[in-house]
Amino acid sequence: MSEKSQIQVDEKLVKDIASLARLDLTADETAMFVSQFKDILDYVSILNEVDTENVAPAYLSSSSKNSPREDVIEDSVSTEDFLANAPQTKDDYVVIPRVHVEQ
Amino acid sequence: MELHELNIQETHGLLSSRKISSEELTRAYLERIQRLDPQVKSYVTVSGDVALEQAKKADERIKSGEGLTPLTGIPYSAKDSISTRGVNTTCSSRILENYKPFYDSTAIKKLNSASSVLLGKNNMDEFGMGSSTENSGFFTTRNPWNFDHVPGGSSGGSAAAVAAGLAPFTLGEDTGGSVRHPASFCGVTGLKTTYGRVSRYGLIPLVSSFDTIGPMARSAYDVALVLEAIAGHDPKDSTSRIEPVQSYSESLKKAESLRGLRIGIPKEYFVEGLDKDVDASVRAAIKQVESLGAEVMEVSLPHTQYAIPVYYLILFAEASSNLAKYDGVRFGMSERKTGDLMDVYLKTREAGFGAETKRRIMLGTFALSAGYYDAYYLKAQKVRALIRQDFQKAFETCDALITPVAPTTAFRIGEKISNPLDMYLSDVFVVAVNLAGIPAMSVPCGFSNGLPIGVQVMGPHLSEETLLRIGHLYQMQTDWHTKHPPL
Repeated sequence: MSEKSQIQVDEKLVKDIASLARLDLTADETAMFVSQFKDILDYVSILNEVDTENVAPAYLSSSSKNSPREDVIEDSVSTEDFLANAPQTKDDYVVIPRVHVEQ
Repeated sequence: MELHELNIQETHGLLSSRKISSEELTRAYLERIQRLDPQVKSYVTVSGDVALEQAKKADERIKSGEGLTPLTGIPYSAKDSISTRGVNTTCSSRILENYKPFYDSTAIKKLNSASSVLLGKNNMDEFGMGSSTENSGFFTTRNPWNFDHVPGGSSGGSAAAVAAGLAPFTLGEDTGGSVRHPASFCGVTGLKTTYGRVSRYGLIPLVSSFDTIGPMARSAYDVALVLEAIAGHDPKDSTSRIEPVQSYSESLKKAESLRGLRIGIPKEYFVEGLDKDVDASVRAAIKQVESLGAEVMEVSLPHTQYAIPVYYLILFAEASSNLAKYDGVRFGMSERKTGDLMDVYLKTREAGFGAETKRRIMLGTFALSAGYYDAYYLKAQKVRALIRQDFQKAFETCDALITPVAPTTAFRIGEKISNPLDMYLSDVFVVAVNLAGIPAMSVPCGFSNGLPIGVQVMGPHLSEETLLRIGHLYQMQTDWHTKHPPL
């Protein structure tokens, strides 16, 4: 985000992102996001004022270390419970449409 | 006084002396929900059958007199992002409309083991994204003090339920103010816990490095009772803190003054744009805390103005990753009438997510995409480090900080919904706390035009006892937290 509004937010960019994000946006949504993204990206560019040359990023919220549990085998969820929320199942499997349909 | 106006301590007194049964109490709350919630709209799901079953078990336990805790037989509700076994958990999203978890989150499990009674699940902004519940995929919750106004967010349903007497306490969740902001707007006491103090296992994630479960109730003392029941290390959450849980309520019973406590007032939180009445009420609360023996001093958190852009950039990125799992394959909505697998992804996500959720997924996908990662996400994480350092420095000289929770009282429904940036700015005083992972509490401290005002008390990591003590002693001298909206 080197310079304010250096990034060209246009319909093509929004459509490219929507495709990466797996969202089938409507034309209205695309138009709305083009204008709102400009405002929001302009606003966050205020961070350019801050000198972070020698600052290490803080990915975690505290200095406390993670405490992983011992790798011990425990009872797990039953397949039936696990699949109870699946939109479509067959035997012990989740069913999905064909990965690729010939056009 | 009516049942729904009693705090947990008073209700526990009635239960343990068997003047009332948990079943009678639960039925009274369910009846009140049935009568008033069609207007307040704080519940997405009312789990009446589960509640009555749990209440009967609680009554058996009370009869036996064994293993009673202050929460045994007490009804409560939970934000709809907290997993409840067999009870719909929707995050107020269409995409999870019929989702029933097959396990309880650790916080719920702990309340089950105390024999508390789950009344239902509260409305929220979809997946926790918003400050008003207007982004709920189902409906907007109304502020019990004035139905034309929002309850705040994102745990708006939870705050409204406590304020309206539709639950004595509730579990909220705070990613960027989502407990404190609605607590302030609805006039209840809400605690954002230290990151890791309460297990996140079973909490549907929004921003994994910010999310915290926290209690909301009618007093700091009640919040203390709930916190000591749900806090603690959990092998199922490797980020949960291993330090032992203090007996917060015992410590409050002994608290007499705030002598020896140093309270900082960050000057960056009293700036232009702060409502006059909010400013006056918060300053009056500071005076009151001073009269309790605390020493008050001005401090500076110089990077405060960068908290909002840092918070949102990290949120966009982490939320877009966390929400990638909603693809119509293993659970939730699935649009699969035509086409191939890619069509299922595209159509399910388009139909299942609301506008704000899509906006944030899009911005996060952009911020993480090749060529922009360093400029946005990495830059934000670096400034986050500086914001954390601000707090560390302030806590070298202070035990706690006091600020407003929100710049204004509850705004009108519809006022900010068409301008997302304006809505984001409503979180200006609450998000820095999540960037630093520290605890903070919202305590009612006044009214303006009939709408509540909240004061925020922040402290260093694991300082919940100090925050609760400040809140409790303040509430022993004031009656803002005992007011009820006329319903």
